Amino acid sequence: MENKRIRIGHLYPELLNLYGDTGNILTLKNRLLWRGIEAEVETIGKDSMIDFKNLDIVFLGGGSDREQLIVCHLLEQQKESLSEYVESGGVLVAVCGGYQLLGKTYPLDGQPVKGLGILDIETEVNDERLIGNVVICSGLLSKNELIVGFENHAGRTRLGSCEPFGKVLTGYGNNGEDDTCGAVYKNVLGTYLHGPLLPKNPALADYLLEKALLRKYGEAELLPLEDQAEKEAHQYAVKRFLKQS
Amino acid sequence: MRLLLAIWACKLAIFASRLLGKKGSSMPGQLAFKICPAILTLLSKQVTKEIIVVCGTNGKTTTNNLLASYIRHAGHSLVSNEYGANMLWGVCCAFAEKASIFGKVKAEYACLEVDEASCVKVFRYMEPTMVVITNLFRDQLDRYGEIDMTVDFIRRALAMAPDAKLIVNGDDPLVAQFGEKANRPCYYVAVDEDTGAGVSEAKEGKFCSFCSTELLYEYHHYSQLGKFSCPSCGYKRHTPDFSVTEVSLTNGVNFTLTFGEETTRITSRFKGLYSVYNIALSYAAARLALNKKPDYEKVLSAYKPQVGRMEEFLIGGKTVVLNMAKNPAGFNQALDAVLQDDREKDLLLAVNDLPQDGMDISWLWDVEFERLKQAKVNRLIVTGMRADELMLRMKYAGFAEKQQIKCSDIKKAAEFLVSGETTVCYGLANYSSVFTLQSVIKEMEGREISGK
Repeated sequence: MENKRIRIGHLYPELLNLYGDTGNILTLKNRLLWRGIEAEVETIGKDSMIDFKNLDIVFLGGGSDREQLIVCHLLEQQKESLSEYVESGGVLVAVCGGYQLLGKTYPLDGQPVKGLGILDIETEVNDERLIGNVVICSGLLSKNELIVGFENHAGRTRLGSCEPFGKVLTGYGNNGEDDTCGAVYKNVLGTYLHGPLLPKNPALADYLLEKALLRKYGEAELLPLEDQAEKEAHQYAVKRFLKQS
Repeated sequence: MRLLLAIWACKLAIFASRLLGKKGSSMPGQLAFKICPAILTLLSKQVTKEIIVVCGTNGKTTTNNLLASYIRHAGHSLVSNEYGANMLWGVCCAFAEKASIFGKVKAEYACLEVDEASCVKVFRYMEPTMVVITNLFRDQLDRYGEIDMTVDFIRRALAMAPDAKLIVNGDDPLVAQFGEKANRPCYYVAVDEDTGAGVSEAKEGKFCSFCSTELLYEYHHYSQLGKFSCPSCGYKRHTPDFSVTEVSLTNGVNFTLTFGEETTRITSRFKGLYSVYNIALSYAAARLALNKKPDYEKVLSAYKPQVGRMEEFLIGGKTVVLNMAKNPAGFNQALDAVLQDDREKDLLLAVNDLPQDGMDISWLWDVEFERLKQAKVNRLIVTGMRADELMLRMKYAGFAEKQQIKCSDIKKAAEFLVSGETTVCYGLANYSSVFTLQSVIKEMEGREISGK
């Protein structure tokens, strides 16, 4: 049997690099390597075109307003291949600013501007930032596994036809009102849970890897990993932050 | 009368909280402010010469305290918040403590460290005559939002003090922007040579503050600090007014500082390139405030670092070095100090996530812990409220679970640290954890001196 190999595209880290996004890339890569699956991370800079056909997982992080606008223009030019990638079940994880600009509109200097329209969401901005630890439960994961993270955003996102990523148990989520957190369309996952989301939510990392392997190879059996440090970090956060609400 | 009442209440509260073994440097100020909101205005007006404010992400405390020492050493009276209580209450407290019970402040100078986000609040009541800005890095993002917001806070604060002179780190494009087109004197302090340290792990400030074009660098010092220029609008590193050259970082920090015709060779026991900026900025501010050359030798050699700034202890013939690091830029600099020591060592990492630390610990993933694989680490101990997250981070940095000792109780972790075989140990801890760690280690040292 040939060796399996997954290619992860990290989009524009020189522009979108707030809050420890690298933790997510490290996690995806290592959880493949630990299972004997080859993994390659391709860092895509603003001067190169993205070869979506060659990618299995794409990561889009968060940045400040100025940088978000540059990224939106860059992706606008490659929107056709991005759409094809998404429609064919390509895995795309978008966080904070990256999440917002995938929507129909997102705020820039307080004004709504047109986004990429990949996700049916609209985002407005509010002066009061929504900041804090978050615990959600997500239908993406079996066994009622919880997801822990941290959010820090001024955006208020409303979902159109797409499904939420999860239900907020602690924290604010998309807008602080309707208990939804993030958005899911096909294998696109958008969320305000920034920074090291995947390291301490290994079940979510494995869900994404499974989707990428299924799309590429038609099968995805992931060997169980020990995950001692992962589980302890996860459980600590659940225990401490869930009871607050 | 309200003012007097406020001063008395504040003094009483300081006394009471010190009896309880606390620092008493912030809460009494809050009390005083509640009784008399004009307290800061009324007391700061009595300062006869300069009111100097130091702000910026890293190096505030060291820069401000060195500056205060220069001024004190030159024989002047001053108000300062040297314990690092740097929000509005802390500043109020520093003035109330200095005031007489009749409401008089006898001070020629005030040297105040003020947190970036608090500048706007503080300047509403007190107008500084000089503002020193050290650098801007990402730090405690849950409190400040993005770095752009911090820039905005400072811009708004500076607009409230239109006559204040600026003394800025000219190598930091995010900081030097405040001097551009500013209708006021601005002095740039910069390292005017390639020090060869040149790591470029810049996360912010890569783009021009004025036109968003990517900045070009002739050389980097660390993070976004270096000789930058914008290829599009022409924004660039100014010719420094206080120029640092001939930098040597082996055996302490040594460099030549040139201001106009004056040249001073500075030697010190400080460590790391970041110390060059702290020393040079405080020297520049003192030079301008005193209008004569400050006596740097006596001040630097007598300077006692604040809690956990490369603080050294001796326990059982073993050297224990404590260093506070609370954001990626600071932590990477602290790792440099560990890496520069080529002895085998035990290492303790401590991270809390209390409000004063910043509740968001995402930044741990931006610290280049992977470099510790080369640091001859014998035992690795992770502690603090977020010991679990640290352990996970260190697993990814190449230290498997069984190579780490996890102990969330900082006191016990400190005992592990000093009980090992190595002749040197390092403790790197963030804001609130460094205070706990320092008091435990100090106690151990004390026990030893007094014969156990």
